Amino acid sequence: MSLRLRESKMAASIAAASCRALRGRCEPRWLLGWGRQLCSGGRRAAADARTSFGFQTVTEAEKGEKVNQIFENVAKKYDIMNDAMSLGIHRIWKDIFLHHMNPYPGTQLLDVAGGTGDIAFRFINYVRSQREHQVRQKLRTHQNLSWQEITKLYQEEEQKSLGDSHVVVCDINKEMLKVGKQKSQRLGYSEGLSWVLGNAEELPFQDDNFDVYTIAFGIRNVTHIDQALQEAYRVLKPGGRFLCLEFSHVNNSLLSSLYDLYSFQVIPVLGEVIAGDWKSYQYLVESIRCFLTQEEFKEMMEDVGFMKVEYRNLSSGIVAIHSGFKL
Amino acid sequence: MLASPAFRLLSRTRPGRRGGLQAAAGRALCAAAGEEERAGQGQQQRPPLEPGLLEILVCPLSKKPLRYEESTNELINEELGIAYPIIDGIPNMIPQAARMIGKENQGKESEQT
Repeated sequence: MSLRLRESKMAASIAAASCRALRGRCEPRWLLGWGRQLCSGGRRAAADARTSFGFQTVTEAEKGEKVNQIFENVAKKYDIMNDAMSLGIHRIWKDIFLHHMNPYPGTQLLDVAGGTGDIAFRFINYVRSQREHQVRQKLRTHQNLSWQEITKLYQEEEQKSLGDSHVVVCDINKEMLKVGKQKSQRLGYSEGLSWVLGNAEELPFQDDNFDVYTIAFGIRNVTHIDQALQEAYRVLKPGGRFLCLEFSHVNNSLLSSLYDLYSFQVIPVLGEVIAGDWKSYQYLVESIRCFLTQEEFKEMMEDVGFMKVEYRNLSSGIVAIHSGFKL
Repeated sequence: MLASPAFRLLSRTRPGRRGGLQAAAGRALCAAAGEEERAGQGQQQRPPLEPGLLEILVCPLSKKPLRYEESTNELINEELGIAYPIIDGIPNMIPQAARMIGKENQGKESEQT
């Protein structure tokens, strides 16, 4: 018994030490913009390690647990709900995101919080089509190839249809990963794809390992955003790119009021009807309101050391793509 | 016999963000209790680690490379005495869900802590 007790104490102290080591420079500036009053108190309390969970203020540990609980609840209905809530527009946002990334064959991607594989599958498709394009170009420039050479080229393409590209999907939620992995088997994605259960705040990957780091609709749910950014910076190769797709703040007042109406009146109802879960979707809309503005997030990226940080609004700022480089 | 691996899976994979220290401690206890059977039936039902992943994975705490232990299907950080399980072919790299390796590495561990 005493041995077990010691072991558990050690587990606690190792984890605590890692907490201290990774604790970031700046507290998250959760509480600006819409819903400021509802969110208030959180910032003051940040020193006592409290943070926002939607419009509630909870301890940081609670936030992690609650977010996890939510994604366990919604994992199975995640794709259907995304389609229903966004009227399918999330697919366009993700396609634009991939276009923005414009990966070439050979790109090593880490997709964090990408449990259900939306970004990873798009990445694979994109790289494949780039690769096909390359091979066609190559054929075109060699007009007088023999048929053996042509066959060889096509075989090469089949063997390396991704040109050594690889995507690692890392998510903290087991259920989301499970859904993603099943989906990948169903859709026939296997080459160049790996799944890892891990925390964005303490990534289990080597330094300087990836060409691109993506996080799509995930950073909002991370308890210590600055730590997640530092980890992203660490695992990227010099010259590597950080790309984030996230809900942001609408810059058009008419659209903004419609959007609020839709968010608070329609989305939780959809959640209840389709997924039988009002609360999770209530959290979703609240967490969007409490998330940083475009400029604030950009600053946070710069604080961590990213260079050439830019953002682009989609749908008048309902979502934004932030991009930065590790140089 | 069937119930205990199921229990172990449950007890070891409840994910948590930072701060789930007590939970981690609890899990370490559960893991220690199920240690013996694990060694026995590690390989049979569990898909092994994907080749290639081992090269890029490190311990999320120390950021040092890991050793793949085939018999238990775990990723081991010898220095800290932590074993990360691989469940359905997916490595679980959440420190709070990891297993402390007791006996053989005790000396080392107490130095660490």
